Amino acid sequence: MNTHWSSLVYTTFVMGALAVYLLMPRAGRSTNIAGTLIGMVALALAMFLCADMFVGTSSGNALFYASAVIALASAVKVITDEKPVYSALYFVLTVLAITPLLILQHAEFLAIALVIIYAGAILVTYVFVIMLAQQGGRPACDHRARQPLLAVVGGFLTMAVIAGQMATLPDEQAVIVAAAPAPTSDAPLAEPDNTMQVGSVMLTQYVVAFELAGVLLLVAMIGAIAMSQKRIPSEKLVEPTKPPGQIGREVGPY
Amino acid sequence: MNDIVPYVILGALLFAIGMVGFLSRRNLIVIFLSTEIMLQGVVINLVALGRLHDHVNGQVFALFLFVIAAVEAGLALGLVVLLYRRRDTLDAERWTTMWG
Repeated sequence: MNTHWSSLVYTTFVMGALAVYLLMPRAGRSTNIAGTLIGMVALALAMFLCADMFVGTSSGNALFYASAVIALASAVKVITDEKPVYSALYFVLTVLAITPLLILQHAEFLAIALVIIYAGAILVTYVFVIMLAQQGGRPACDHRARQPLLAVVGGFLTMAVIAGQMATLPDEQAVIVAAAPAPTSDAPLAEPDNTMQVGSVMLTQYVVAFELAGVLLLVAMIGAIAMSQKRIPSEKLVEPTKPPGQIGREVGPY
Repeated sequence: MNDIVPYVILGALLFAIGMVGFLSRRNLIVIFLSTEIMLQGVVINLVALGRLHDHVNGQVFALFLFVIAAVEAGLALGLVVLLYRRRDTLDAERWTTMWG
């Protein structure tokens, strides 16, 4: 709303970025404890800012804050944990924390689909691959991040600019609200039943896209099967004798 | 409107976290997990903005996003397994032959 407020917003973003940077896996002494503390302070500051700005706006405030904090914390754990298996499990936690947010937005069907598809199907694929591609010991690529400072600065700078613009332009937000077709209230979207609404829109207005999605899934399935049949010799055996590109020509048909 | 802003900010934050992970991690599997976090942020944004305009198109779009995510996970992880079989490592920096 004013400069004081927006400087608080930027402070929060800087602290969050610092927390992510300190939590990144690194070679020397672990800085996880400092990163965790700074991250907790940043989350508390963000909650305070939101409560200050959106006081009493929705009935699900407590649920929103709890879910958002869990989602953000576990998302940070996904990208900072040294073990890929833990990353995958924290990603399940992120998905489960996002589900109540979708229910608060009256997207019940999407919330359930999210749990079934992500936590049920996609994550199982990830865990399978993690188990298939077990690396021995503690590989260097897991305990040393690549350019963490540049990545953190880039990511959070983008974020801070977007959020700062959004939060400090109340007039244009009012224009957006005025341009919206109907005033947003809690009741109308849930009237016929969310699943029925989604289904009727998807199978009338977007029926071509729906069919194309089915075709896409079929093509992806064929591709995945074809890839899994392909036998590729380990490069350790072939590398010294063959010129580049030769290996691909010698791979047998599947 | 005030109902929507925290959701949009949360979605953008998740997107930023995923982007940081995508840029800085070296394990191929964790890189793809980071893209999934970015997709979660996008899903939250789609649902929130669809609610702002009071129709379910955002939710339908999010469902198509799930399809794309499933396809991406299946194909990308298949490729990761092939790469792993070839060099016995998941380190993305081992695959830099196109740097020139």
